[in-house]
Amino acid sequence: MEIEKNRQVETEEVISNKPAQIRILRPKKKNKDFQNGVGYLFVSPFIIGFFAFTIFPMLFSLYLSFTDYEMGGTATWVGLDNYIRMFTNDPLYLDALNVTFFYAGVAVPFRLVFSLLVALALNKVVEMVGFYRTMLYLPSVVGGSIAISIMWRQLFGNDGALNSLLAAVGLPTHSWLGDPNTAIWTLILLYGWQFGSSMLIFLAGLRNIPKMYYEASSIDGAGRLKQFFSITLPMLTPVILFNLIMQVINGFMAFTPSFVVTNGGPMNSTMLYVLYMYQRAFRYFDMGYASAMAWVMLVIIAIFTAIIFKSSPHWVHYESEK
Amino acid sequence: MFHLKKSLAFLLVMMMLALTACSGSSDTTGEPSGDSGKDSSKDSEDSVVTLRMSWWGSQSRHDQTKQIIDLFEKENPNIKIEPSFTGFDGYFDKMAAEAAGNNLPDIMQQNFGEYLNQYADKDLLEDLTPFVENGTINMDGVSDTVMQSGTQGGKLLGIPTGTNSLVAFYNQDMFDEAGVSAPADDWTWDDYAKASEEIAAATGKFGARLMEPKNLIEYFLRTQGYKMFNEDGTGLGYDDDQLLVDYFNMNKELVEKKAVPAYDVIQQIKGVEDELIARGDAAIDFRWSNQATAVTATIPDANIQMQVLPGPGNDKGMYLKPAMLWSIPKSSEHKEEAAKFINFFINNIEVYKIAGSDRGVPLKQEIRDELAPNLTETDKKVFDYITKVTENSSPIDDNYPAAASEVLDRLATIDEQVIYGQLSPEEGAKQFRQEAESILGN
Repeated sequence: MEIEKNRQVETEEVISNKPAQIRILRPKKKNKDFQNGVGYLFVSPFIIGFFAFTIFPMLFSLYLSFTDYEMGGTATWVGLDNYIRMFTNDPLYLDALNVTFFYAGVAVPFRLVFSLLVALALNKVVEMVGFYRTMLYLPSVVGGSIAISIMWRQLFGNDGALNSLLAAVGLPTHSWLGDPNTAIWTLILLYGWQFGSSMLIFLAGLRNIPKMYYEASSIDGAGRLKQFFSITLPMLTPVILFNLIMQVINGFMAFTPSFVVTNGGPMNSTMLYVLYMYQRAFRYFDMGYASAMAWVMLVIIAIFTAIIFKSSPHWVHYESEK
Repeated sequence: MFHLKKSLAFLLVMMMLALTACSGSSDTTGEPSGDSGKDSSKDSEDSVVTLRMSWWGSQSRHDQTKQIIDLFEKENPNIKIEPSFTGFDGYFDKMAAEAAGNNLPDIMQQNFGEYLNQYADKDLLEDLTPFVENGTINMDGVSDTVMQSGTQGGKLLGIPTGTNSLVAFYNQDMFDEAGVSAPADDWTWDDYAKASEEIAAATGKFGARLMEPKNLIEYFLRTQGYKMFNEDGTGLGYDDDQLLVDYFNMNKELVEKKAVPAYDVIQQIKGVEDELIARGDAAIDFRWSNQATAVTATIPDANIQMQVLPGPGNDKGMYLKPAMLWSIPKSSEHKEEAAKFINFFINNIEVYKIAGSDRGVPLKQEIRDELAPNLTETDKKVFDYITKVTENSSPIDDNYPAAASEVLDRLATIDEQVIYGQLSPEEGAKQFRQEAESILGN
């Protein structure tokens, strides 16, 4: 603001004064330019990156989504054909959409509830808090990685740890990844298991609730459960909103687990949206169509985020609103 | 306002600089990043060219290929080869991503059929005819039919690495244990089913591995005089869905009798060394002949034999195939050097001494003859087998459309659905025709 004001004064001076005096002012101005230049220089890596690796590819993919571009070929404008084909002439697309809605619909609440429970438990722990937090956060640090997915494949494999465990206690074993009914659940479990980041955010939220509320309510005779639903949960709603939005976006964009653990199988029962998009682009070289798929996913995520935001005044409580 | 313009101009200049820096570095991707000392002498005679080379394969192939690269580098000190390799799973995904980035390796292991056609269709591969004509790649004495398999639309897009064929591997020990006689040259599908059931019942393991639809439905159709795709690649090459129904029924029955495993077992297999036959868990498996070494690697004591696939009509069904092809992508900046390596691979006897039959049986008779006395037991069987198939086979079908890869993926999914019981064989055959026609018609 102040700089802006200064400049205005300067400009006025420039206009009102004679040329001779302008010359005197020039060094000052140059200095300002230089300062701004340095500023731009320092932010330029971000700005260049933002244009080169975000804005340009996005606009390019928007353009491609209206073409029949196949890798190595030329792009011919086909209008809305790709978008129409998705919903009328591609049964696999609708399957993938279905699987993804189911996956996000189950996995996101599962991860949120689970991470809240762990956060509540950690909030009570007094000794060795750092150790527990690190241990519980670890799956998320390595979570997106291929290594964890490969481990998951081994755990749930026919000769994997889970079946060995079941066999050891005399329970029937099962082909978890080979059965189309259970394969998606192993991926949901994997998603829930990587609860670390949302758990940490919950934990921070819990720490922020003033102790005096609990003290006051216990004097009034409120039990633990009553305290949880009347104090903890309402006070935590802003954090829940944040986590919910982040996880919904995350859930729709899941790729690695279905790619590595099951590769979409058996019978496409774990064919998540992004995996199918990837296959269209890199297996069948169908770049135009895959670009269109990406934009539809963007719209879907935008709609869900908007709905959550719109609904938030009804269930999110901010202390400052009182 | 004036100020804004200036800063915008500044920003633009910065972006230009960054962009030129980017394109500048991509010009030299042929050079290894850590080799700056050699970069400076780029223009001199003895500059080092770095080629990137990609292949898929088993662990034994990775080890062999690295030995071969060492040998080549020793003979050609001015060429350095940067290898990159994976299992077959994921190889073409990776190549497609590199193709999208216009960053394919200089030497690329390519596969006959749907893959070669896909890359040919997108015009991503260099025509190697000039290199053969000017002698950089010496193909003297290689038959036209073999060369034909690397040709698409009059362009030579791949140099075959060796000759390959489908083969029925069988574990003689398991046959003996069950008291079943070994498959004869004229064994039938009934013989195959009966042997599988009896061996499974006697050993408690599997008689055979569930057939892989992508290769074996085509073979099954060929034995009866049909092709997978029609001549111009616009539809399927057979009219009667009953053919596919028969195929589904045969496999489904064997799964139900527990003579072959269902997909819950198959899905766990990652790579050839992990196959049921390679672990002694199945007695019969239809695979490619160049996989013999990998199949026997984990159970060296087992008596693994090779036979042609079941008939009737197996002389019509069997065919010779280039095990794989070496291709040079159009985007390569060192095509001459890449061609030199391919020439080395095809013509140097040492290569085959290291690799055996892993990339197929050598194309040239003189190399085969020279190798013959020193072959391993397994390679000797493979050489003999290829000779036998050469006399009892029909030419390969090279009419795969560019979308074949998607059609074959659908076929694999429908095969799963039939085995899992979600579709009846009749429904499966019908649905495959529908989906295939929709894909090919697009």
